[in-house]
Amino acid sequence: MPLVEFVDFSFKYLGSDNLALRKIDLRIDEGEYIVITGPSGCGKTTLCRAINGLVPQFHRGYIAGHVYVDGHDTRESRVAELARVAGLMFQNPANQLVTLNVAKEIAFGPENLGVEPDKIRARVEELIETLHLEHLREKHPHEMSGGQQQMVAMAATLALEPKILVADEPTSNLDPKSAESLLAILSDLNRDGMTLVLVEHRLDLVSRNATRLVLMDKGSIVADGPPRKVLSLPICEEIGIGIPKATQVYKHLKRNGCVLSRVPLTGEELAISVEEACNK
Amino acid sequence: MIIIDDVHFAYDGIYPALRGVSLQIDSGERVAIVGANGAGKTTLVKHMNGLLRPQQGRVFVNGRDASKLSVAELARTVGLVWQNPDHQLFLDTVEKEITFGLRNLGYGPEDTRARCERTMSILGLTDLANRSPFSLSGGERKRVALASVLATEPQVLALDEPTIGQDAKQKENLSNLLMELNANGCAVICVTHDIEFVIEHFPRTIAMSEGLIIADGQTNSVLTNDRVIEICSLSTPELTQASQALNQRFPEVSPRLTLVKELEDAIIKIFGGV
Amino acid sequence: MSFLEVFQYTRQESVIHNLDPRAKLVISICLAGISLMFTDIIPMVLMICFLIPLIAAAKSLKRWATSMRGLLPLLLFIIVFNTLLSTTEYPFSHSIGLSLRLVALMTSFSLFFLTVHPDELSQALIQMGIRFEFAFAMSMAMRYVPTLGQEAYAIMDAQRARGVELDKGNMLKRIRNIVPIIVPLIIVSIRRALSIAESMESRGFGASEKRTYMETLSFRKRDWGVVFISLLGLVILIHFRFFFSLPEWVSWGLPF
Repeated sequence: MPLVEFVDFSFKYLGSDNLALRKIDLRIDEGEYIVITGPSGCGKTTLCRAINGLVPQFHRGYIAGHVYVDGHDTRESRVAELARVAGLMFQNPANQLVTLNVAKEIAFGPENLGVEPDKIRARVEELIETLHLEHLREKHPHEMSGGQQQMVAMAATLALEPKILVADEPTSNLDPKSAESLLAILSDLNRDGMTLVLVEHRLDLVSRNATRLVLMDKGSIVADGPPRKVLSLPICEEIGIGIPKATQVYKHLKRNGCVLSRVPLTGEELAISVEEACNK
Repeated sequence: MIIIDDVHFAYDGIYPALRGVSLQIDSGERVAIVGANGAGKTTLVKHMNGLLRPQQGRVFVNGRDASKLSVAELARTVGLVWQNPDHQLFLDTVEKEITFGLRNLGYGPEDTRARCERTMSILGLTDLANRSPFSLSGGERKRVALASVLATEPQVLALDEPTIGQDAKQKENLSNLLMELNANGCAVICVTHDIEFVIEHFPRTIAMSEGLIIADGQTNSVLTNDRVIEICSLSTPELTQASQALNQRFPEVSPRLTLVKELEDAIIKIFGGV
Repeated sequence: MSFLEVFQYTRQESVIHNLDPRAKLVISICLAGISLMFTDIIPMVLMICFLIPLIAAAKSLKRWATSMRGLLPLLLFIIVFNTLLSTTEYPFSHSIGLSLRLVALMTSFSLFFLTVHPDELSQALIQMGIRFEFAFAMSMAMRYVPTLGQEAYAIMDAQRARGVELDKGNMLKRIRNIVPIIVPLIIVSIRRALSIAESMESRGFGASEKRTYMETLSFRKRDWGVVFISLLGLVILIHFRFFFSLPEWVSWGLPF
């Protein structure tokens, strides 16, 4: 059984004229690392919300089709129940921190679900240790940088022990260094078995670790496959997404009749491909 | 155009944000200001239109001492576009929103109308003139906020993180607009974390760290300088990483390339092409 | 406004900090009650002499001193005006007594606010029977006040850059100039509230009737002791104040 399955799912927000999602069929299996990208307003955020039931439970509107999350139909399950399966991280870190210290913040979710206090304490300590949050323990959220806030928000989401972590542009308000370290931690989590769905513009930073790249435009999925394959498609330029620079160089070379053996995603990969081509 | 001379500034008098910054920006330049959060980038820009006043040092705008001018007077020369459009939109139509600043800055009714219409057509907002800004999408609201500043036709346009949340197409539209303004003589200053955007569109880069200017010069030399990258906690541009990796294998390739075209040419050369 | 610092929580490791917030609430109320029973100079001085060691035990003497220095102009104002306007026999003496009483009252309450973390306060309220949602709303307000402040400054900057002159013009113009600040502030806050709600919902807010708490407050022996002593002190002083004729030196005052 797939972890998440969209079956011919469409959604339109109340008061809107256009479908935010149209006829989505998408299957997410355990252990995958899926990057979703596409132009503004393509439906990425709505897709994330549909995975944990915020659509259609919190944001109401017209629905067709179904989304099944770990066997639950999101039309029938409450967001709070789905929270045990799918954890959501949002774009603005400040709006995710609702308490005045890190331990309380991490405990907030499990407390809501009625987990025993001893277990909560153990989880909190474990997350503080694994995500290196010790130095933030006594800080007020507004004394933390955006990157630090987002780390705490991640810990708070993971405290619910979800099977799948959905992160909606978690790096867009962060400086490049914080963004890189956050993405590195996400990819570590995936290596340790967490299923990951990540909405991200900076494809150069995430494509190498992702197992799948899903391209969306105007509410539909227009491409879905291994990152190297999807990024080499011409549709990337047509709908306008930020292709990694190394891949752009590859595409330019190809147009000039110079074909490298594989599609590079980073500068290092580009250099290796060029070296291999030379040695042949 | 703008001269900043040894400016010091500390918030509440105790949290230093600028610790002796000097620079000069000429008319028609395109300058990027980069650096980690808290490096003093936004504080610096706020000195250019008088929102903040130096506690030490001086600021000159158009040859006039800024300390003798009000924010409203400076705003006619230096327009500031903020990261979050919601911080400034408050009227019920796009048109009113754009004319609000013009009227405040003392333009007559005729002039206000003409400027408003011109700006709306440049930014593709004419069809939205009577819509409420609050019913628009994020990208559109950003355009309205930009229009409300552009309508005053400032000689210097300073933008704070204009590319956050913008997709590739929107970024391209923004850069086309900035290039056009610049071609008509407007100096463009951009505070940003988006290194790739800087490389493509800004010939000059100022890198800051902890209230000091660490480097000020040609973008492709500032952003490929490992020491500057380290001190200002920037990340090495994607293609500079590629050119460094190539340089290790093919020493004839410069390790400091930044553009797709440069890399393409270098690789074709490796393959023995012309 | 530096005199308000004395009502702001400071993280410390002290005997007072370690007490249960409910016990501290009882002490503060008893002390404030005692301060309100007297107006003469001598009892007020004694009261303050009793309070200072408590503040010292909370390791907050420095903060208290700064606050009191900030309060000085207000005290002088009270003394001057009250002396001029009072109808009592010795107006100056009476004014001194009043201002000392203000110091004693503020110090009594500060003992609570200095040493109780807002999170502890909401936990105390919950355990005193207040619904979680209400207590949580209060601590969340504390959480977002600084954020709202930052937002207000950003909006003011944005509007000033568009030529809004906040500190110029007559009263009417100034009031009108608030509109471009307030409207965006409200809009931004509503957007923020929605996104906070979304994030809380995703973390199971309101999920189960049996919400648990990682840390619960427990009343220990020393908390009971403190409550007992405070109440005893209050009762004894009430008794002396209202049922005995106090010795003359207690109501000693300056002869003007």
